[in-house]
Amino acid sequence: MEPAASKTISVEINGELYEREVDARRLLVHFIRDDVDLTGTHIGCDTGNCGACTVQLDGQAIKSCMMLAVQADGASIRTVEGLGLDGELDALQQSFSDHHALQCGYCTPGMLMSASHLLEQNPHPTEAEIRKALQGNICRCTGYVNIVEAVKAVGEARS
Amino acid sequence: MLLREVEYARPSSLEEALRILGSNDGARALAGGQTLINVMKSRAASPDVLVDLAGLSELTAVSTGAGGLELGAMVTYAQLASSSEVEVTRPVLGEVAATIADVQVRNRGTIGGNICSNDPTNHLPPLLVALDARMTIVGPGGERTVGADDFFLGVYTTAVATGELLTKVTVPPPGGAGDGFAALTIGTDGTCIVNAAASVANGAARIAIGCVSATPVRATRMESKLGGDLGEASVRAAAEGLGAQLDPPGDVHASADYRRHLAEVMAVRAVLQAAARARS
Amino acid sequence: MSTTTITTESGTVLEKGAIGQSIPRKEDKRLVQGQGVFFDDVRRHGTGYVHFVRSPYAHAKIVSIDVTAALALEGVYGTITGDEVAIHTDPFFEMSTPPGQNIKDYALAVGKVRFQGEPVAAVCATTRELARDAAELVEVEYEPLPALIDAEEAAKDEVVLHEEAGSNIVWSGVFDWGDVDKALAEADHVVKIKRLHFHRFSSTPLECSGALVEYQRGTGQWTLYCNHQMPGVGAIWMAPALRCGIDKLRFVTQDIGGAFGNKICLHPYYVVLCLLARKLGRPVQWTEWRTDQHTANAHGNERTFLDVEVAVKADGEMTGFKVKAVDDCGAFPRYEPLGCIIWAQVTPGCYGWRNIRVDFTQACTNKAPVSPNRGYSRMQHLWLTERIVDIVAAELGLDPVEVRKRNYVKAEQMPYETPNGCVYDSGDYARSLDIALELIGHDRLDERRQDAAARGKLLGFGIGSTLDSGTNNFGQSQLLNPELQFSGNNEAAMVKLDIFGEVVVTLGTVPQGQGHETTASQVVADIIGCSPEQVHVRPGHDSFFNSSAGFSGTYASQFAVTGLGAVKGAAELLRDEMIKLAAFVLQAPEDAIELADGMARIKDGPEEAALPFMALGAIVNANNAFLPPDFNPTLNHRYVYRPYFGVVDTEKKMGKLTLTYASQIHACLVEVDPETGQTEIVDYAAVDDCGVRIHPQIVEGQVHGATAHAIGAALHEDFVYDEDGTLLTPNFYDYHVPHTMDMPPLKTGYVESPSPVSPLGAKGMGEGGGGGIHAICSAIQDALRSVGAPIVYDSCNPSHRVWSMLKDAEQTRALVEVTSK
Repeated sequence: MEPAASKTISVEINGELYEREVDARRLLVHFIRDDVDLTGTHIGCDTGNCGACTVQLDGQAIKSCMMLAVQADGASIRTVEGLGLDGELDALQQSFSDHHALQCGYCTPGMLMSASHLLEQNPHPTEAEIRKALQGNICRCTGYVNIVEAVKAVGEARS
Repeated sequence: MLLREVEYARPSSLEEALRILGSNDGARALAGGQTLINVMKSRAASPDVLVDLAGLSELTAVSTGAGGLELGAMVTYAQLASSSEVEVTRPVLGEVAATIADVQVRNRGTIGGNICSNDPTNHLPPLLVALDARMTIVGPGGERTVGADDFFLGVYTTAVATGELLTKVTVPPPGGAGDGFAALTIGTDGTCIVNAAASVANGAARIAIGCVSATPVRATRMESKLGGDLGEASVRAAAEGLGAQLDPPGDVHASADYRRHLAEVMAVRAVLQAAARARS
Repeated sequence: MSTTTITTESGTVLEKGAIGQSIPRKEDKRLVQGQGVFFDDVRRHGTGYVHFVRSPYAHAKIVSIDVTAALALEGVYGTITGDEVAIHTDPFFEMSTPPGQNIKDYALAVGKVRFQGEPVAAVCATTRELARDAAELVEVEYEPLPALIDAEEAAKDEVVLHEEAGSNIVWSGVFDWGDVDKALAEADHVVKIKRLHFHRFSSTPLECSGALVEYQRGTGQWTLYCNHQMPGVGAIWMAPALRCGIDKLRFVTQDIGGAFGNKICLHPYYVVLCLLARKLGRPVQWTEWRTDQHTANAHGNERTFLDVEVAVKADGEMTGFKVKAVDDCGAFPRYEPLGCIIWAQVTPGCYGWRNIRVDFTQACTNKAPVSPNRGYSRMQHLWLTERIVDIVAAELGLDPVEVRKRNYVKAEQMPYETPNGCVYDSGDYARSLDIALELIGHDRLDERRQDAAARGKLLGFGIGSTLDSGTNNFGQSQLLNPELQFSGNNEAAMVKLDIFGEVVVTLGTVPQGQGHETTASQVVADIIGCSPEQVHVRPGHDSFFNSSAGFSGTYASQFAVTGLGAVKGAAELLRDEMIKLAAFVLQAPEDAIELADGMARIKDGPEEAALPFMALGAIVNANNAFLPPDFNPTLNHRYVYRPYFGVVDTEKKMGKLTLTYASQIHACLVEVDPETGQTEIVDYAAVDDCGVRIHPQIVEGQVHGATAHAIGAALHEDFVYDEDGTLLTPNFYDYHVPHTMDMPPLKTGYVESPSPVSPLGAKGMGEGGGGGIHAICSAIQDALRSVGAPIVYDSCNPSHRVWSMLKDAEQTRALVEVTSK
């Protein structure tokens, strides 16, 4: 095995398998947006602070701008396009809308991926737990008030 | 935001990783990428070859051995924060790891990456100095162990030489020690402006200050001034003059003088926290 | 609180059906599924990606630019430099009087760079990575010059940024209303404040700026898929520069990831893209990087206030103040010098003083140019008035609540004419303050102070009163430059009824998250007589739909007035025509026809005497032979809403500068750690009054967001430069914005004082007015009262500044002097 400047990778995204040749330097977020045309995942900064690029990789919320596409070879990824089913919103997406947890919608995909990851691990999170889980997702529109309410409501509806 | 051209390999064994690292001066180990990918995005540094350690599963173990808590170099902050072994033996490691940035970073960032990058504002270098950890390094010459006091050498530089790899960090068993950590950060769970770590056992203390120099600074004068008395008045008195001994940088978040002041404040807080947790 | 009818300015009585309800947002379904279309999501075959080569120096001569190596890289389509821009374009229109008027502002640096990050060349390549690689191969030789980073220093003109202007002063003038010298002479106390500083920051929307630009050679038509939030004005700058007709610039937006004023001055970048698209014969795409947004897009105005003098009577009435203001607009004015007058919309703030003099100077410096950041220019001035009230109260030992209530403009005085002729339409500041105080438990203040002290913390209580003036009269620009041909305001909308009965609305505005599709549907539904679900609002803005007027866009807290005013006007035209058509078909008088539930029917008539909207649409579009020759309904109407202001008085510098005045009163409790200077907000309340609330949830969301922006600015966000003009906070590590765990629990309340002058009784309210900055400064000063009472003099108070005030209270106390009779 020798280092190579490009590699053919095989990545499962939202249940579908994609095989592509990518440059080693290509960021995962650009692979998702530009090579696979899933533009729901967004880019908001260039230092890995804002979380707009958050996806779930092998069951973990990660920032896809802080990973190379080649590192995701063999991984299973879920993006915002993988939430809900056949155009029907899932409970979290619906709760975001009910609670006005989005204004411009730019941070929303990343926020949903972090929040759904939390709810999978902690079905009834407290407000403090929600804030901790979403600390890596910047929003400049909502002040987070309604986002926290929306996630909390999903937890409460389940109990 | 866009990296320069680079070559990439994901070896499946430690030997292979070392071979690739040894064959190219411009080769760098890629751990969680939460620092290195950022550095490469800004083009502040551009390695020729990235050696992805993700295939080396032996580096992801948390276990307890003869020397104490053994943490593989690829153990993530999330693992540290959720490990019951860590919680039982040296809980401060999990507590501090849980305050690093956010969930996404903690899912990927590793203890090895954190200490090998040796960014002066990182949490783990001063903490591991206070805990008197030992770092196991593997290279072409074999395996060796370096104590935390000798591991951090200079600006972004550690005892891990080109062609070598850190494989694990061993934290000695507490033996009645209490550990503490205090920091002023940019926003909640943000980058540290000044941090301090302390470990006290049988009245003796190890105190390390971060963010004030290229490497963690042992507050040895404060340690000896304490003289076994860990009451609040004694600790505050021992911290006086600590700032004057330091030569910290000034930047947009803190002047050198403010960092000197914060060093004393954080050292006191870390020691008091450690003292409260030590078994008498 | 709620009413069932609104009587509008034109006397129409609107039944509130959908208006006033927090209906589900139309925008949400696509956005929560990641199906929004932001400009970077738009793809075109053969696109070239653009990367800008930027100056590392804040001030330097450009000796030479060599693109040879860049062009030689495989995959590079082409380049462009400032020299080409100077040949193919004319400098952008400047609004100021000379000397500012003589500044030459091109799309790329020509001959000289004047701020770090200023673009000097652009490279276009097959991929973003290649464009970035090629940009590193462009060789630029610079001759550095001394950098000016202080506006007061710049105003001395020892080093001049723009040789053609010969001075760094963009504009200066004195505003003088009432008789402040008399007020000071007759005052019982004169409070002097030597210096206050409102810092440089911006709302940093999460989506960066950019565009995909196509050029059609055959027609000379440019299409910009972009996120420009004020395309009407963008085109006014770009068309003359590009020497093309204004219709040759088609702006298309759909979803925009926040703007907050930072996407108003994108025209220099867009001109470069237009030139490249034409030169290279392919679509070109540019997405700004975060670092570029911080260094080289736009900041909010930085303003220093000097030599404030305040006249106060023995009973606490404040009768006037004077101040010298120095505004730092960065390297190029662009939207400036409008900031030199926009503050005058709120000259007295929330207060009744009648004697005010402001000596205003704006200067260029070697920092990023400014653009109207959320709260534009009013926020800076309102911060000044609140600091004045806060400092006066503290120095004279007056209760901060009482001194505000004593001096607030009262509800009974509304509509209230300010000393410079603006009219506050409605509001009840005292009542809003009472609600805020109750929300934070002001009556338990002493108890909370003691509790904090027991934990070693200093508790502080602060109030921030602010106004959100909305719907500009652009005639205020004539108070700066009488020769400018801008005045009034306008916004357009179209509403039509299609062949199958679908109601379709096209907006002239440019939504960036404010829910325009939703609120427009509420207004149309109530007028036309259907449900909001039956109203389709086209997302975004497209200047080809002829739905825009000269001032079209989304900015300056005006959508609820201008945008919805246009929608209302168009919907009413449509409604009247639908009634006329239905009357003809049903053979009934017009006043017997009502529109309700998607039907046009005879009031109290038989069930058969009804036509579904689809029938009306079908007649006009496909089955119109039976209509008489003199009756020609179109069921497709465009309306331009124009608020009435009258002409301004350029001599006295007075006039109606704004139509509506929303208000926000904030109150907060903070705990300061005296060991570190760190401030924690422990309780926070914001009470907003924006008149009739079309969609309460959307209004509240804006209050939350504006408060978060203010909290970030008050405690962390600061665009700081070193002495070489290098920006020290170019990314989100160092420029810390609030994350979830940085936000305190936010309590909100509201008052609804309907506006008597707006189409729906609603007021624009999106900007907010920075109430959180005023409240937090006030609270920190209160917290530090027991430890030397330092003066909070800067709008940004991160822990290092608070620590400095703790360490040396005397230094800031020296800023204040009180003379009493």
